Order: sequence, then structure tokens, then C-alpha cells
Amino acid sequence: MKRARNLLVAGAGLALALILPMAVDANGYAVRVLTLVLLFAAMAQAWNIVGGLASQMSLGHAAFFGLGAYTSTLLLIHFGLSPWIGMIASALVGGAAAFALSLPTMRLKGHYFALATLAFAEVFRVAANAWSSLTGGPVGLSIPYGEPSFLMMQFQDTRSYYYLALSAFAVVTVVFAAIKFSSLGYRLRAIRENQAAAEVVGVQTTKVKIQAAVISGCLTAALGTIYAQLNFFFDPDSVFAALQISIRVALITIVGGIGTVVGPLVGAVFIIPLEELTNVLFADKAAGLSQLVYGLLLIVIVLIQPRGLAALVGSALARRPKTSGAGT
Amino acid sequence: MIDRRTLLKTGAAALTATLASRTAFAQNGGDINVGVVLPLTGASAQFGINSRNGLELAVDRLNSSGGIKSMGGARIKLIVADATSAPTAAATAAQRLISQNEVVAVIGAYVSSLTLAVSEVLERRGIPLLTISYADQLTERGFKNVFRINPKASALGRAQVDACIDISADSGRKLERVAIVYEDTAYGTSQSAGLRAACKEKNLSIVMDEAYPQGITDVTPLINKLRAADAQVLFPVSYLNDTLQIVRSMRQQQVQVPVVGGAGGFILPEFGQSLGEFAEGVLSVNSSNYDLDPESAKLYRDRYNYPMVHDAIEHAALIEILAQTLEKTKSSAASDLRAAMTETRFEGGWINGMPGGAIDFDETGHNTLAVPIIIQWKGGEQATVWPKQFEKVSPTWTN
Repeated sequence: MKRARNLLVAGAGLALALILPMAVDANGYAVRVLTLVLLFAAMAQAWNIVGGLASQMSLGHAAFFGLGAYTSTLLLIHFGLSPWIGMIASALVGGAAAFALSLPTMRLKGHYFALATLAFAEVFRVAANAWSSLTGGPVGLSIPYGEPSFLMMQFQDTRSYYYLALSAFAVVTVVFAAIKFSSLGYRLRAIRENQAAAEVVGVQTTKVKIQAAVISGCLTAALGTIYAQLNFFFDPDSVFAALQISIRVALITIVGGIGTVVGPLVGAVFIIPLEELTNVLFADKAAGLSQLVYGLLLIVIVLIQPRGLAALVGSALARRPKTSGAGT
Repeated sequence: MIDRRTLLKTGAAALTATLASRTAFAQNGGDINVGVVLPLTGASAQFGINSRNGLELAVDRLNSSGGIKSMGGARIKLIVADATSAPTAAATAAQRLISQNEVVAVIGAYVSSLTLAVSEVLERRGIPLLTISYADQLTERGFKNVFRINPKASALGRAQVDACIDISADSGRKLERVAIVYEDTAYGTSQSAGLRAACKEKNLSIVMDEAYPQGITDVTPLINKLRAADAQVLFPVSYLNDTLQIVRSMRQQQVQVPVVGGAGGFILPEFGQSLGEFAEGVLSVNSSNYDLDPESAKLYRDRYNYPMVHDAIEHAALIEILAQTLEKTKSSAASDLRAAMTETRFEGGWINGMPGGAIDFDETGHNTLAVPIIIQWKGGEQATVWPKQFEKVSPTWTN
């Protein structure tokens, strides 16, 4: 029964998301913000596989994201390869990087894991800045300006990018839900609750954690390709950014509701427009005021509901002490 | 009584008026919205704020002296958005200015990576972008809507090297050995690459080529290495805090190698204030300087109690370009503006502060009259010392 209800809610949400851009200007600001909301929701959902299900606080997802952006864009620039195929290549590279990162770090816990992953992404940022002959160095890469075509993942109106981001979010969410309700999901939760106990009952903890990390890395890298196509330009400091990418996706998930299916979307729907709104309202006032307001609002949210906005919404809707949202 | 016909007529008139209001506004002395995307928070905030001050001063003076006369005294209205330090945010801000504020042109975004991101949005929407960013590829992607008044980054590097060869030759020395020190950031790496290429062109030997972490705490090893390298000139590429440390330590340790900075921290008023006599004689490349147009510089200093730094001069010049263009086109349609900007040679007003005194865009949007200059710190002020035709004070080369 609950499952049927959830599917119904998801269907209604999808229908709403499909008609939403029809209500606004096809090239307008609103569509762009909505597109960014969905893209970041997708990134947060990919992060949620590692951060939410396995409770491994990765602060290095920018590494996979940046690798994805660079892989498909370099293939596009040098070989004219369609970004759709480039995206698959990106996913493979991202997965490989996640595997390489997992081997030495999966034994680390808590802060140590967070710091190691943070450093991992920083290595890529520095390398991309230094290795100019391959990456274009600090001046960044531009997607070659061309005629809009579906094959080249370049569209005339922003609305098409919105549907691209929506599809990406849907795919990542289905993957997340599939893992969460599969045996892999149960193993991950067992590890989260008590790793030693999980091992005792026969969960191959290292293998399970690596599986989750690789899936998450693949998805994040594929999203890097979409970001590059959407933004047309990126540099090492923007795609390998600790604050703008790694910490932001973690923040979105945590504010939204970590480990839940709806958390990343709720978080992104809240955080991305909030950033924009504070910028719009305060940017021409005192310098820095917009970010101060943004920071204060985040603190307030976390203080009100540490389990995330999804839990807040859930409890408001259900009016029951135990909600279907967080923790399950 | 109002009959149906009158009602219909009034209704139709009101509807037409609403639809036409956009064009009508711009032509009957209304506001012309101009978008401004600048970093107002983050590491480059100070530069963004100086730029905004230059824009506001120029716009206020334009509006108070009658606005755009050919358009019935239309006033320019700046719509300012924070580019933060992320290219995505800058691009989103540009998108917002276009769709919410119907801007006729956008000015920004100071930092090259932000400008590149903004230009991608504007090119696809056909709105002109006026910028002072240095990155070479801004005008090398075949875009039709980018107009950049400053020299390219590569030209800045060449100017530094050429100027050193000239100035040292004037004092009877032949330049052979140079040292490059740069912060390990995007700015440091790309600018030092330009310097390296320029040194190679002139067959100078680079006896020291060293990156250091931004915010370095102890520069002594760098200075010792510099002393040992026996360089005839040092090219540091750094922002303010690091430049202060490097120059102060050098002078305290009696390392008298001439210093030729790569803009950044070397052309900020705070450089002279913090270093006092140690600043004396330090050179830097720049794209404009306040002693080229003292009259305008005084207006700025009177209003903001701060020297009219190059960012402010150049942004005021951008307003001059826009105003002269609008005066000529009598329309705020993007295609008209673009055509007029490519055809016109801009002179006078705030453009007097630019070396060359005029601006002429080629079809890529590159200003063919842009020339880098070299300034030297003398008595707490920055004086233009190179090239010869813009020299205000003759350069000194101490070694």
C-alpha cells in the first residue's frame, strides 16, 4: 500500500515537472534555475548512494564530476565525438577513479574518510591547472560553438536542457531507489549501523562499499558531461571545486534529508533558489551580505531539523511521530 | 455613458501601449537597462567593487548631463548582479539580467573565467558583452558579441619583457638573465606562461622559475634562491599579500634586483601604502593608469577617496563606449548596438584614460588600439613610464 502511494506521488511529481517549464519563458531565468535545481538534485542523489546509504561522508565527488566534464569535452574537441557517447566514456572514467579511490580509503572512517576524499579531488584540481597541454590549464575549456543538434547535445532553448536535467535526475533516482530497496541496500545499511556486526553475519563490507562508490562515481561523472554541455565553459577551479561541487552536493543532501529518496530533490529545491534569491536581493547592497544571509539561513535550517527538510515536510504532512521519510 | 465601442477602443489602445512600452520607454527619455555582472563577493571582490565604482561614476555623470540626447535624454540604468567566484553563478546572473531586466548590453565579469562563462550565454542570446578581461581566447572563438577594450594576456607578458629590455638598455645594461616567481593559482600559472613564452622569443635565459603556494608564510627560501640565481630582473606574479612579503623581504635583505610585477597586487594603492619606501622603483605592467587622464582621476578620487585604479578607469570607458554607441544608433536593439560598436572609433570622455586615447574594435571584438603600459612606483604614486609615447615620468633602473 505504502509502495503504491509512493509511486503515485512520484508519478504526480514527474507530471508536474514535465509541464512546469511550459509555464515560463523558454529561454528565461526561471528555466535555467530549475535546470540547475534538477542537475544538482541529481548530483546530490548520486552522492546519496555513498553518503546516505553507506554513511561514507565523501567530500571528493568533484573529482568524478570534473573528470566527467573533461573526458567528454576533450573527446568532443579533439575527435568531434558526440557528448552522448562521451558521457558513457565519462561514466567509465568516473567509475574507474572511484574504484581507485576506494581501495585505499574504504578502511577509513568518519573524518578521515572525508579528508582523504577532499584531498583526492584537490589533486585533480591542481593537476588540471598544471597539465595545460591536455586540459587547457587554468583558462579552461569551451564547448565548440555549433548549430543546435540533438546529436551534439546542444539545444536552442534552455527548456531542452531542463528536460535533459530532469531525465538525468529521474535515472539517478531510479538507480538510487533500486539500490536502496535491493540486497545491496540492506548490506550498506548493515554496514552503516555496525560494520563489525555486518561482517560477522557475512557481509563482504569492502566489496559492498566499493560497489556503491563505483556506481556513485559513474553517475557523478556522467552528470559532469551534462554540466559541461549546459554551461558551455568550465575551468579546473569550477568543476573540481571543493566548495562549489563536493561540499555543495553533500550540503544539499544533508539539508534535504540524507539517505532518503526525496532528500536530494528537497534540498536542491530549497538551496539553489535560496542562493539565487539572496544574490538577487542583496548583491547590489553591501558586498558579501548575500552570502551572509544565505549562511545564516542554512544554520537556522540545520538547527530546526537536523534530519533534513524532508523529515520536516514528512512530519508536517503525516502528523505522526514516526514518518516514512528519514532513516528507513 | 461608455458604449461598447469606446470600451473596445480604450482596451485595444491600452493593450497596444503595454506591448509597445518597451520600445517607447527607451525612446522617450526612459531608462535603458544595462546589466553588470561583477565579482562582489569572494577573492576578487575588491576588484569588482572598484569596477562598479567606475561604472557608477560614469553613469551618474552621463545621466546628470542629459543622458542619451538622441534618444530624448534616456538614462542608463545599471542592474548589478554578483558574479560570485563561480562561472555557473556568473552565467546564471547574466541569464537573469537578460530575461528579467531586458538589458541591452552586459558589462563584466572582470575575472576571465567568469567572463568566458557569461560570454557563452550572451552569444547565444545575441546581446553584446563589454569587458576588460585579459584571457586571449575571449576574442578568439569567433563570437560576434564580445567587445574587449584591454590588451590580451599574452600581450601583457610580452610588454613586461620588452619594457625591461628597453629600460635596462637605456641605463646601459644588456638584459640576459631573468627570474619568474608566481603563485600556484590559475592567475599565476597562466600569466607566468605568457612571460615564459615572451622570454623565449627574446632569447632571455630564465635562471629561476618557481611557483609558490598562494598565501605563503615564509618567503626567505625564495629570496635566497633569487640571490643565488644572479638574475637581472624579477617577474613576480602575485596578489597583494604575497607581493608585500616578497618585496619587503627582498629589500630588507638588500636584494636590489629590479622588480617588474604582473599587475595583480602591484598596481593596488595598498601596495604603496603598506610598503612605503620599499615600494619605490617597483615596476608593473598595467592596461591603463590614472596619470593619463588626471582630470577624470580627480573626479573619482573626490567621490570615493581612493585613487582611480585601472579597473575603474576601464569600466568608465566602457560606459563611454556604450553611451556613444546609443547616441549614434538611437535604438537599443542589440543588433544595432553590435554593428555600431564594430564600425565606430571611440574617442574622448572617459576613454582619455586609456593608453592610445581611442578604441577601435575589429570584427572579433578585439580593441586594435589596446597597448599595455608599464608603471613605476614613485613617491607613493604610480607613474606611467613605458612605452615612450605615453611616458609621464622617465623610468629608473636600479641595479
